[in-house]
Amino acid sequence: MVSGPSLTPRLLREAQRAEAAASDAGLSFFEVVFEMLDAADVNAVAAYGGFPTRYPSWRFGMEYERLAKGHQWGLSKIYELVVNHDPTIAYLVRSNSLMEQKLVMAHVFGHADFFRNNAWFAPTERSMLERFEEHARRIQEYVGRYGQDRVERFIDVALSLEPLMDPHGPQRRFRAAESRARRGGAPPGTTQVERSRASLRLVMGDEPPAPDPGQRQLPTFDLLGFVAEHAHLEDWERDVLGIVAAEAEYFIPQRLTKIINEGWASFWHSRLLTGGLLEPSELIEFADCHSSATQAAPGQLNPYKLGIELFRHAERQGLDLFRLRAVHNDVSFVDEVIDEAFIERSALFVSEQGRGGEGARIGSRDHHRVKQELLRSLAWAGQPRIELVEVAGGGRRDLVLQHHHDGRDLKLDEAAAVLKTIEGLWRAPVQLLTSEGDQARRLTANGGEVEVREAEAPPSALPSRAG
Amino acid sequence: MAGQIHRIDRDRARFKEVVRGRIREDLQRYLASSELIGKRGDRIVSVPVPAVELPRFRFGSNEAGVGQGPGEVGDAADGRDGDADGGAGGAGEQEGTHILEAEVELEELASMLGEELGLPNILPRGRDELDACGGQWSGIRGQGPESLRHFRRTFRRALVRTIAAGEFDHQRPVVTPIRDDQVYRALKPKPRPESSAVIMHMMDVSGSMGREQKDIVRIEAFWIDTWLRSQYRNIEVVYIVHDASAKVVDKETFFHLRESGGTKISSAYELCLDLIKERYHPEDYNIYPFHYSDGDNWSARDTERCVALVRDELLSRVNQFCYGQVKSAYGSGQFKKDLDTAFQEESALVTAGVDDRAGIPGAIKAFLGQGR
Repeated sequence: MVSGPSLTPRLLREAQRAEAAASDAGLSFFEVVFEMLDAADVNAVAAYGGFPTRYPSWRFGMEYERLAKGHQWGLSKIYELVVNHDPTIAYLVRSNSLMEQKLVMAHVFGHADFFRNNAWFAPTERSMLERFEEHARRIQEYVGRYGQDRVERFIDVALSLEPLMDPHGPQRRFRAAESRARRGGAPPGTTQVERSRASLRLVMGDEPPAPDPGQRQLPTFDLLGFVAEHAHLEDWERDVLGIVAAEAEYFIPQRLTKIINEGWASFWHSRLLTGGLLEPSELIEFADCHSSATQAAPGQLNPYKLGIELFRHAERQGLDLFRLRAVHNDVSFVDEVIDEAFIERSALFVSEQGRGGEGARIGSRDHHRVKQELLRSLAWAGQPRIELVEVAGGGRRDLVLQHHHDGRDLKLDEAAAVLKTIEGLWRAPVQLLTSEGDQARRLTANGGEVEVREAEAPPSALPSRAG
Repeated sequence: MAGQIHRIDRDRARFKEVVRGRIREDLQRYLASSELIGKRGDRIVSVPVPAVELPRFRFGSNEAGVGQGPGEVGDAADGRDGDADGGAGGAGEQEGTHILEAEVELEELASMLGEELGLPNILPRGRDELDACGGQWSGIRGQGPESLRHFRRTFRRALVRTIAAGEFDHQRPVVTPIRDDQVYRALKPKPRPESSAVIMHMMDVSGSMGREQKDIVRIEAFWIDTWLRSQYRNIEVVYIVHDASAKVVDKETFFHLRESGGTKISSAYELCLDLIKERYHPEDYNIYPFHYSDGDNWSARDTERCVALVRDELLSRVNQFCYGQVKSAYGSGQFKKDLDTAFQEESALVTAGVDDRAGIPGAIKAFLGQGR
């Protein structure tokens, strides 16, 4: 099903053709609603992550400035924006040509299929539009009660901690709930995803899983959740932390599936357009548009390009593409599909920072190292892995964080600033164990000051837990 | 939908406020750094604000990545060999690498500077009469040439009169203006204060002035220009360099030239005086000579000549004469002592010593703090 209240009849017809072609090819999706927007408005919606009703924050304004500048200078252009939701919402840009709209629509159905069928999206809430609005309303209320400066400062604090959650947490909880429900005999749904959703509701109700005191045991990667549960906070502060955590959690699957999701959508827009949607006269424009979206700037990785090449490679290997899109995130997809032939053909290399302010250099073309480096850069949603390992006992409640060092150091000055933020929230000293190269370091935030010391044992000697 | 999108205007405005706040907080740092120079347009300064990002745990500089493209091991990853710039590509590391630039109006930057250093506004010297020429065609009056008739207003008055008189007929909507309805555009004179100024930056470019010394001069000159620009409508800047002889140069040359040779400061002061006599008459201009050197002069006799020039010729013609002495490894620093001794009682001559970048704000305050 497809609808587009703001589309011209011509474009709506094209949307219906694209939908029919996508369905015939085996894609399945929720209803897709197309919305037509001006370029500036698309930048605004994109700045809000697709949800223009979000709470006010200067960071969205900053994101908008960034997008608008990129657009103005011709560095980047947003063709479309698809929101993971039921119905799936897709924003089109009015300034696109007819051919571009056709390409974008086919691309949208690729994303829509991915959102509905990929396992990593199964735990996501599909009616977030209302929840984002509800969050914004609550925050507005706090602004009215406690003043803009105070609320804004606290949101900034919460956003600093936003990455400190377990990117695989939602999936783990979802699986656990699903297997519990299966044992309890949930009513079977038509698709696996619907069944899972039904079971999620059955177990947890319509609200997302509320943090359950005592549930979160140490060690945990979910520092944000832990602090929200156990810090001495006012109610509204606890609520703001919960809001930021819930919104971040909603976006986690997108951060885990950038390459595979864009690759899938690009693979299908190319396949559907060249498979009949395109008029012969549009071929050159299509080739131009497609290749500019899937080109790599020298030395860089473009997720569109890497993704589509991986799917094409998988197809040549005789792999089941629909299975790949159903089960994988970026890490496991790269791990399954990339082989020597692919690295050779795509000219992938390991880049290393030059010494003394030099630019990046090609460090190696060794297949094993390229794959290893790529997996490492994708793992844990591209973030450093920071685990809360203990709350120091003996009447004290110092938080002890452990950075799982994988060869990449942290920026210590920024880490120190984050520690100060956490200390302010937790109201007790916070420690971070990390290392700089081979040298173990212990950073301690106490009384608004951060002390950096050589630590006694290298952190890698501690048992590391895989996520 | 449209209404909700325009929430973005509010968030953008808030972002700009945050950025300004950040610049204000960091002004001391900007005061001592050359980041802003070269980013100034006529009215706007682009200020790099990397610090506005929230702190997060991020990977440091030893992060390797994966890139794509041709080339041998050891080549630049971006394919442009030999160049120092270019970024490493790695999935997942794009976020947070941008440095934002915020555009701040010159005027606003100047007012931040004024607040930070407690600078008083300048009371222009001499003539305070108003310059009456200029104005805008925004006035309205009852008489005038037909070519200036304000058609829309005339019609509106006629329409109002017709309706008020009950003569307006919807079936036959004819409106005929009479003489009383007719109004004409008129020139609204807008007097503006006469205030022109000229800044004369004079710099010693002899061998002992190194790169760091020139950078300090450059930063000081930037802030002095910024402040004076906010105080005067028309401002001209003249750049003079000297070693044993002085010449007028353009801005680029001023900041990049490196001469070597002796130092004869009087040559610059003479050139400055000549320019004032020829082009910048004190009746027409507020005149601000700034001289920067490391304090070494050719001879004691030349210093005497300088003192005489300042005392007998320059001080009576200028608003204020400023001398900034930048510390260098070779300079003796004698010149500032000589000036201070000669002009103990003279408030229109200001000297300031700058040991390093941290001393820049103090020197700016000394120069501009008198409101002359």
